[in-house]
Amino acid sequence: MNILSNFQYHAPKTKAEVLELLADIGDRSKMLAGGTDLIIMLKEKMIETENIINIGDVEELAGIKFTDEGVEIGACTKIADIENSTELVKDYNALVHAAGELGSYQVRTMATLGGNISHSSPAGETPTPLAALNASVVIESKRGTRVVKAEDFILGNRKNVLEKDEMLTKFVIPAPAANSATVYGYIGLRNAMEIDAVNMAVNVELEADKKTVKSVKLVMGSVSPKPIVSEAVPALLVGKELNEDLVEKIGEAAMSEAKPISDIRASAEYRKDVVGALARRLTKEAYELAMEA
Amino acid sequence: MGKMYEVANRYNNYRDYTKEFTEVGRSIRRPDGPDKVKGSVRYTDDLTLPRMVYGKLLRSKHAHANIVKIDYSKALELEGVLAVITGEDCPIPYGIVPHNANEHALAVGKVRNWGEPVAAVAATTEEIAEKALELIEVEYEVLEALVDPREAVKRDDVRIHEDSPNNICYEGIQIYGDPEKALAEADYVLEQDYYSSYVNHGFIEPQSALADFNVATGKLHLYATCQVPHYTHQQLAKVLEMPLNKIRITVPLIGGGFGGKGVASQADFCASILSRKIGRPVKITYERSEVFATNNGRHPCYMKMKLGFDKTGKITACDFTNLMDGGAYAGWGIVVLFYTASMVHIPYMIPNVRFDGKRIYTNKPTCGAFRGLGGVQPRFAMEQMLDQAAAHFGMDPYEIRMLNAAESGYTAMSKMYIPHTEYKKCLTECVEKSGYKEKHGKLPFGKGIGLSGGYYISGTSYTLYLSYKPHTVATIKVDEENDVTVYCGATDIGQGVDMVMAQMAAETLGVKTEDVTVIPRDTSVSTFDLGTFASRLTFATGWAIRQAAEKINAELKPVAAGMLGIRGDEVEVQGGEFYNIYKPKQRVPWREVVSSYIQTNGPLSMTGQFTPPRRKGIQQGGNIGHSPTFGFSAQIAEVDVDLETGKINVVKITEAGDCGVAINPQSVEGQVHGSIQMGMGQALYEEMKIAPDGTFLNPSFHDYKLPTALDMPEIDANIVDAYDPSAPYGAKESGEGPIQPTIPAIFNAVYDAIGVRFTEMPLTPEKVLNAIKEQKAKGVF
Repeated sequence: MNILSNFQYHAPKTKAEVLELLADIGDRSKMLAGGTDLIIMLKEKMIETENIINIGDVEELAGIKFTDEGVEIGACTKIADIENSTELVKDYNALVHAAGELGSYQVRTMATLGGNISHSSPAGETPTPLAALNASVVIESKRGTRVVKAEDFILGNRKNVLEKDEMLTKFVIPAPAANSATVYGYIGLRNAMEIDAVNMAVNVELEADKKTVKSVKLVMGSVSPKPIVSEAVPALLVGKELNEDLVEKIGEAAMSEAKPISDIRASAEYRKDVVGALARRLTKEAYELAMEA
Repeated sequence: MGKMYEVANRYNNYRDYTKEFTEVGRSIRRPDGPDKVKGSVRYTDDLTLPRMVYGKLLRSKHAHANIVKIDYSKALELEGVLAVITGEDCPIPYGIVPHNANEHALAVGKVRNWGEPVAAVAATTEEIAEKALELIEVEYEVLEALVDPREAVKRDDVRIHEDSPNNICYEGIQIYGDPEKALAEADYVLEQDYYSSYVNHGFIEPQSALADFNVATGKLHLYATCQVPHYTHQQLAKVLEMPLNKIRITVPLIGGGFGGKGVASQADFCASILSRKIGRPVKITYERSEVFATNNGRHPCYMKMKLGFDKTGKITACDFTNLMDGGAYAGWGIVVLFYTASMVHIPYMIPNVRFDGKRIYTNKPTCGAFRGLGGVQPRFAMEQMLDQAAAHFGMDPYEIRMLNAAESGYTAMSKMYIPHTEYKKCLTECVEKSGYKEKHGKLPFGKGIGLSGGYYISGTSYTLYLSYKPHTVATIKVDEENDVTVYCGATDIGQGVDMVMAQMAAETLGVKTEDVTVIPRDTSVSTFDLGTFASRLTFATGWAIRQAAEKINAELKPVAAGMLGIRGDEVEVQGGEFYNIYKPKQRVPWREVVSSYIQTNGPLSMTGQFTPPRRKGIQQGGNIGHSPTFGFSAQIAEVDVDLETGKINVVKITEAGDCGVAINPQSVEGQVHGSIQMGMGQALYEEMKIAPDGTFLNPSFHDYKLPTALDMPEIDANIVDAYDPSAPYGAKESGEGPIQPTIPAIFNAVYDAIGVRFTEMPLTPEKVLNAIKEQKAKGVF
């Protein structure tokens, strides 16, 4: 399919211009950043729009900036820039790992972090590590600025908290806590270019004894319309040292919380099975890394 | 022609040729490689012509429906639309197998699969053409769709083709020896059902056709992604009711074919008909979804195989029943059906064989030719059964294969004759290189190693229509301006036959390959060739080229001898120089000899030809599968099964192949890697998914999963020392043999890893995990 439908194309150069446009025509516009999801949906005639606002050239929306509190990543930062960042990988390797698993080389070169979460696909790679890393999403409009937690951003399949006149401008990720580690993993058919059957990120923080779990955040992707932050796993693990018995229980707990569907990629039963496997592996891995942190 | 030289290289008149090659055996890098990487190659879709317009096909969303009415008046009114055609404009059926031709450029009266085209438009832009499709109103009477051949064969009440009762496209029975008696008397009988899956080639370049009808001359020039330009030429002539000499087909570089471009595409016909109608060039290029709707991929087979063994482990009988899912139309169907029959006769000696096969119509995109066609399916069954039999006899899987393997000079019950094989060497070499004997049955639970063998034809013995003309013709022209120019209709679809032809010509002519130019195929320029299928090109073009080159030598050698002042039969040529074989320092440059020849004799070009021998005493359909010679391959797969997720990681594949002499070892290795990638895709990932109503669920690379580079195992590809004396330069096929063992090797390895036999492809993590859970429940681990 070649016809993208008839639309007005807007190419603002500053954030202020974007917000102005959104206030004016946001209710009948689609944002174009990398285009790796939007263009396909237009070509497949899954969506139509009167206006396209290309924010890909707005320089102030892209970039990775380290602060005293952590790091800020602009919404239009390319996935490839995250994947290849030698600085990010030190403290935010879960996000870097997830970025490296997104699509193909070509897609990563075009796609943006803001686009990946704004597309709000249940199988998105980056929402899970962002949530596990306690990232905040900064949302702006002419009316003002608000901040939501990454896990609260996505509401359902291709639904999120953005109002028609709002845009996602950046992510704020706090510096990792002492004695903590976050890891990412996924299960899919292939080792690249995969639409994950399940993905997951686990953040384990230990007490000063480097054995007792102080906090744990296990986030599951692709097993419900939006990422699930486990409530059962912290209840099992906080205040305890990890052992094989607990690892088994964590797997069972995660499986009980996952709400996967059956589709042409995998059955719900299989997705549940691998949620257990991923939860066991990643929790163990994060725990061991946290001990060495 | 030089009178003192006898040109004696006819197939049956082989004289022992020097095996000390200089150009054959060079791993010359493919000259098309850098341009492909840079994107500077021009494929069909990259071509434009003055006044060219764009064509698009309207495709059915229904898998089975009568077309009640098509109204395209609104489309015609759209500014920029130049023409619309429907089945009424192309009522003549076509098909690669002429006596079973039932396809149309556009559906006539009825659609039989999802995505079948019902109308085509030509417009000044692609966007207008697409918009025009939306304005065409088609009224359908939707019919019940049959998507499972096991049901379709019982449903005479729903005939997909009115003239095919029970939806049987073709059926055949072959009985060699007395299989019934042999099975009754066998010491051990093994019987098992298997299913092989519905997969597509996944070539990178979609089909594209650019047709240029010249109103003034009445000639049609078609540029097309076609691996069988000759057969497409014939079918265009039939459908367009034009004489052959008014049609010219040029094949630009092709981005992969694998058999999928081994039939004329509907784009070829529609672009041609539209161009004739409007008098302007028309280009039609498929979307990926249209490639899937066209398919021509591998036939899914519901197979029952019964093998009988004597008490030593020798196979005494094979009873093979095969119900094939052919999809909507005939295509290559008959050929594939009887290939599956013939493929059980080699590489093991089986004295009693029965085949009972049916190819069934279903409402799915048509199945056709796909790398290793007809072999992959029965090989999947037999190679697993050999492992099971070996376990029964307490033998190593390698030993049972060695015991049953055919050797050079073997004539199978089907009269298939193997002039040369190093199959046993293949088995031994990959067993030794992989450490199979030390690992098989001894690895920890979850890790496994599996062996499989296979073979493939190296050409066919028959044309698809009755004709006794040569199968391949090659003309070599030698001059001062271009050195050596080779003309041959053999089509390079990415496999590298142009390189191979240049190397073979250079070998006999005694020049460097780099000084040979191969003219790309064009039916009005190239000499005749049947097409790229059946792994026939190296063997067939090799003989034709060598014959032409020896005729050239017979002309040039006396001239060289005169220049050297020696006898004519004392001259040889190599490295760009003629020399005295007794005093090799006496030399004269090849180019000087050529100049001298042309100045005294005039222009020099020679033609060679090749036609394979036929066999006698064959049964129904039995000529299909006969080949002048055969290539062999053995593979060992090592897998690591994730016991918690069921994901199979193929860690390593060790391959040993008998392709005779490798003309270009690097190209052979490429064929092996590609075959393994494709086989692995079918074994583990790929499957076209069709809903019960015939809707295609995953017609994109988003959801149809080809293995990526990151999924590839370590591959140790080995070319065993081999020389086939019946083959030109001792060389035979390497493009389709190496895919034969890949799937059963992986399945045998998975059995070794977790103790479960799988009989259906693909082996998804889900199936594997469920089996592991059952093993766990049984206390196996």
